[in-house]
Amino acid sequence: MLPQFSYVRPETLKDTVKHLSAGGAAIHAGGTDLLGCLRDGIMDVDKVVSLSALHDLRGVKETADGGLIIGALTTITEVSENPMILKKYPCLAQGASEVASPQLRNQGTLGGNLCQKPRCWYYRGEFNCLRKGGDICYALGGEHQFHAIFGHDRICIITHPSDTAPPLAALAAKVRTMGPDGKRTLPVETFHVLPRKNPQVETVLKPGEVITYIELPRPAGNMRSSYRKVRARRSWDFALAGAAIALEMDGDRVIDGRVVLSGAAPVPWRAQSVENAIRGKTLDDATIKRAAQAVAEGADPLPENTYKLDLFKGVIEEELNAVR
Amino acid sequence: MAEDSNVYYTEGLPVPETPAPGDKPAFWKQTDVVGKRIPRVDAYERVSGTAVYPSDIKLPNMVYGAILRCPHPHAKVKKVDASRAKTMPGVRAVITGVSPKVKGLNWKYRNYTGPLFDSHCRFEGEVVAAVAADTRYQAWDAAHAIEVAYEVLPYVADYKEALSESAPKVHDGGNLAGMDEYERGDISRGFAEADAVLEETYETPCQIHTPMELHGCVANWDGDRLTIWESSQGVYAVQSNVAEVLGIPLSKVRVIGHYMGGGFGSKLKPGKYTVLASLLAKQAARPVKMILTREETYLCVGNRPANTMRLKAGVKSDGTLTAFEFECIGPSGAYPGGGTALVDWLVRDLYKCDNVRCRSKDVYINAGTARPFRAPGHPQGSWALEQMMDALAEKIGMNPVKLRLKNIPAISQGRSEPYTTTGLKACIERGAQQFGWKNALKRAKEQNQSASHIKRGVGMGACVWYVGGGGPPSTVIIKLFRDGSVNLNMGASDIGTGTKTVMALVTAEELGVKPEVIQIEHADTGTTQYATPSGGSKTVPTESPTVRNAAIDVKRQILEMAAEDLDVRTAELDYEGTEIVWRKDKSKRIRVTDVGRLKKRGVVVGVGYRGPNPRTKTVNPFGAQFCEVEVNTKTGEMRVLRFLGAHDSGRVLDRLTYDNQVFGGIVMGIGFGMTEFRQLDGKQTGKLCNRNWHDYKLPTALDVPVDMESLPIEIDDPEANNTGTKGLGEPVTIPTASAIANALYMATGIRFTNAPVSPMGMCRRLAARKEG
Ligand SMILES: Cc1cc2nc3c(=O)[nH]c(=O)nc-3n(C[C@H](O)[C@H](O)[C@H](O)COP(=O)(O)OP(=O)(O)OC[C@H]3O[C@@H](n4cnc5c(N)ncnc54)[C@H](O)[C@@H]3O)c2cc1C
Ligand code: SF4
Repeated sequence: MLPQFSYVRPETLKDTVKHLSAGGAAIHAGGTDLLGCLRDGIMDVDKVVSLSALHDLRGVKETADGGLIIGALTTITEVSENPMILKKYPCLAQGASEVASPQLRNQGTLGGNLCQKPRCWYYRGEFNCLRKGGDICYALGGEHQFHAIFGHDRICIITHPSDTAPPLAALAAKVRTMGPDGKRTLPVETFHVLPRKNPQVETVLKPGEVITYIELPRPAGNMRSSYRKVRARRSWDFALAGAAIALEMDGDRVIDGRVVLSGAAPVPWRAQSVENAIRGKTLDDATIKRAAQAVAEGADPLPENTYKLDLFKGVIEEELNAVR
Repeated sequence: MAEDSNVYYTEGLPVPETPAPGDKPAFWKQTDVVGKRIPRVDAYERVSGTAVYPSDIKLPNMVYGAILRCPHPHAKVKKVDASRAKTMPGVRAVITGVSPKVKGLNWKYRNYTGPLFDSHCRFEGEVVAAVAADTRYQAWDAAHAIEVAYEVLPYVADYKEALSESAPKVHDGGNLAGMDEYERGDISRGFAEADAVLEETYETPCQIHTPMELHGCVANWDGDRLTIWESSQGVYAVQSNVAEVLGIPLSKVRVIGHYMGGGFGSKLKPGKYTVLASLLAKQAARPVKMILTREETYLCVGNRPANTMRLKAGVKSDGTLTAFEFECIGPSGAYPGGGTALVDWLVRDLYKCDNVRCRSKDVYINAGTARPFRAPGHPQGSWALEQMMDALAEKIGMNPVKLRLKNIPAISQGRSEPYTTTGLKACIERGAQQFGWKNALKRAKEQNQSASHIKRGVGMGACVWYVGGGGPPSTVIIKLFRDGSVNLNMGASDIGTGTKTVMALVTAEELGVKPEVIQIEHADTGTTQYATPSGGSKTVPTESPTVRNAAIDVKRQILEMAAEDLDVRTAELDYEGTEIVWRKDKSKRIRVTDVGRLKKRGVVVGVGYRGPNPRTKTVNPFGAQFCEVEVNTKTGEMRVLRFLGAHDSGRVLDRLTYDNQVFGGIVMGIGFGMTEFRQLDGKQTGKLCNRNWHDYKLPTALDVPVDMESLPIEIDDPEANNTGTKGLGEPVTIPTASAIANALYMATGIRFTNAPVSPMGMCRRLAARKEG
């Protein structure tokens, strides 16, 4: 059941930041994640600050240098259907279309998707785990078949839940914010926080800070990108394993590019071993095989999620075949 | 085995009969409305939102109830302090285990009776206190402001460990809830005669009901009369339970359950919440609405127990089955709930085999108690038996369809008596033909020989359902008003299956009236007649013959009245819906609305009783399902491409509601076989991990095939009852998962003995194969 809270709907960004700067306030964009978090009692909130009056933060615009700028309040459905995104950044449109369910995509926003809380069933359940301020990670010694195999350091083994963050990171997108100390611009790639740094926060946002826009740089003329997601059921479910791939190609040859995994780690996980295996190479069967093998490098699987190693190999192999 | 068949109906009960036993109505050879595709009589109400479900009820001065539940799987309540809760805003009533009003009140689980508030909490979610307050939120906050001191006890979460010496005891008597043994023939002789013997251990997960509408009720007292609106499968079952617990006469408890949003067995009986709502309502002197949260329903309103089954089977090289040896263990949960009920029934009854031995052990664990779940025991048993049948077929080099056809029993071996009809052979044969089994098999083999990492398989499974013949008691009243309109009054619920619709069709068929003139009153103990709850696939075969009998009784009376007006003999009159006609001279006729005595009396009341079932035969539905799947062997992703359900449930009353059941059963079976499992945090806390619709994964529209086909195998069964109907709602989910498992085997060569088969499990097995 929801706790008691007050609700405000400021009309300017300045007022929004002011409301948020007082402790105990939380942003409500689409509310699809926030209300669940409040119901599950995972955050102490007594004021809900709606962004819904900030109309400027919605929509997709082309920038002068041929990139795109997406308002944080743009819905996931809008992202998945926008013709410019579909044409220039297909992996982002695909990622967005793989999010949750149609209802949630209609209501949820891109900014909210980047800032959503993880979906560990201990964290969302009646367990006072490390991420909630408790002493232990229950998933480590408990039921973790859905959990991370990379980057967890056996501290907190959540997987980052977003399907839009991996494509955004692969596309070298940036997040613009506004906060009590003014504006910042941060790469999506470093926007999320690993447990070894702080197991109780998910993003580098400071108190009172709001995502305003997401910037996409102009894609290289011959970029191929794609997002693939495997899940336990085909809709309304988070990634068991996924991969966003954005490659700059010269014919069959990979000039450079990024591979970012979902369902893999507490943050969108850049698979540099895969990138290294394909950089400068022709995407033939042998390279793809080698790249798929390389995905397991640095993994620290746990007893119940070792299957993810093979799963990621399969995903990378299929995806590289799909973009070649 | 050991299923309490009283849940569904009473065997051997002497009942009044209308018409008299000698006057059995003729079997319908041809029908006008029955069997057609007719939309539901309440479709508009359901779709437009005007249908009022218990969750929608709002009474003047109504307040809301909330329950405080034990957060530990095993604990003793040492102290409860509700003093703060009582002073919180809006609070109207607080009940705890020490409230004087609850002293001596008991709660029953099958053969176990314990206190309503048991200070020994044996599962996470046991009730500890309850509060009523002006709003849901106030009630929830106050309930959770009650301070409870628990002595936390060691728990047992793994049913396979429950009988070990070191396992904590759920009950003082130990963790064995019950045992069952069955034997026929001589299995050692059977195995000796076999050319091939196989043995395998299978596991199925605990599945949770999760119906769309949450469990709950609204309770209201008017003096000493209690009215309850409950989301229920049977209003009379709620009435008798609540009256018994509270020690008040049945006549003082009125239960209403017009619309309800699904139960699948978990709403055959009321819950403690029903009684708590009634007690709170009394104390608050206001109506109390008590609708559980989704999270609560995952803990405490039932489940299909997990099972581990070992099956050893012998077969001759010509396909003759020579022996089955079956062992099964499963958990009732914290209280008797039928942890292994009916799991062995398919082994006993489905295929011809002279030598069979079955043993099962039902155990207690510290988790929510099982309740009947759509075809209790059967999908589990099917998971073992149907995979074993395929394995045997492979072993002796026989087509799996042929092996099954070779072993069609002539009688019900589990009961040693004949079936009234058995469609098992027809379901398998015609199902296989309609499905295009041979071509599908060929296509799959071709694809699997290609280099593609997408593999394909087809699979099947067949079934019988333990009951499904319905039976007495039931009473139905039909009123024919002087304007020719009709009122059908029956106690049965419509649990979403279309009961109202098909009963209207039976009435219309017998009376020759249009379905639109029939108004239905149902599921109200204050105004409608006694009916057992809708479970066991018994509502159609129980109620439809009763409805027909009531219609016949109306007809008999109206003919007698018309005979006076026309001055002819009653026996010479025919009833043609709107008119009554003299057989000897068809021009001599009278409109029903002109019948003198009807005009004066205003109404004719016909009463129908459900007559007895055939004495020496059993009435059971049969089925066979076929499916085609695809597996991505790189990622473990699976796709169910198509399904066909061929079901023999006697006469089809409405083809639309019939197909709904077939498709719904298949969808539920896909969940059982591929996505659903209860996850306890067994190693650390014993608490439930997945208690919402995201973590507990029901199949979505994208997980089930668009290509689903229903093939009714209609076989005339006049002996079963006067409408020739058998149950359908449960058999349709029995062989689904096992058919999928068999198809997955064909696609991958891997036997998935543990359900569900998720992409995680598929990946694990594919990887193990690569290494091994
Ligand atoms: C059942 C379910 C299944 C789901 N499945 C998936 C899935 O498969 N893949 C996936 O990617 N997502 C999934 N989601 C998550 C869903 O996509 C997110 O809930 C949604 O994108 C969040 O957007 P919102 O606008 O509703 O955010 P809100 O709920 O309003 O906010 C989410 C969080 O972000 C913060 N926030 C929101 N906007 C901003 C901003 N502009 N600046 C700073 N902080 C902000 C809020 O304070 C809050 O903590 C699922 C959610 C549910 C409920
Ligand atoms: S994985 Fe993280 S969120 Fe989950 S139990 Fe461990 S610490 Fe908590």
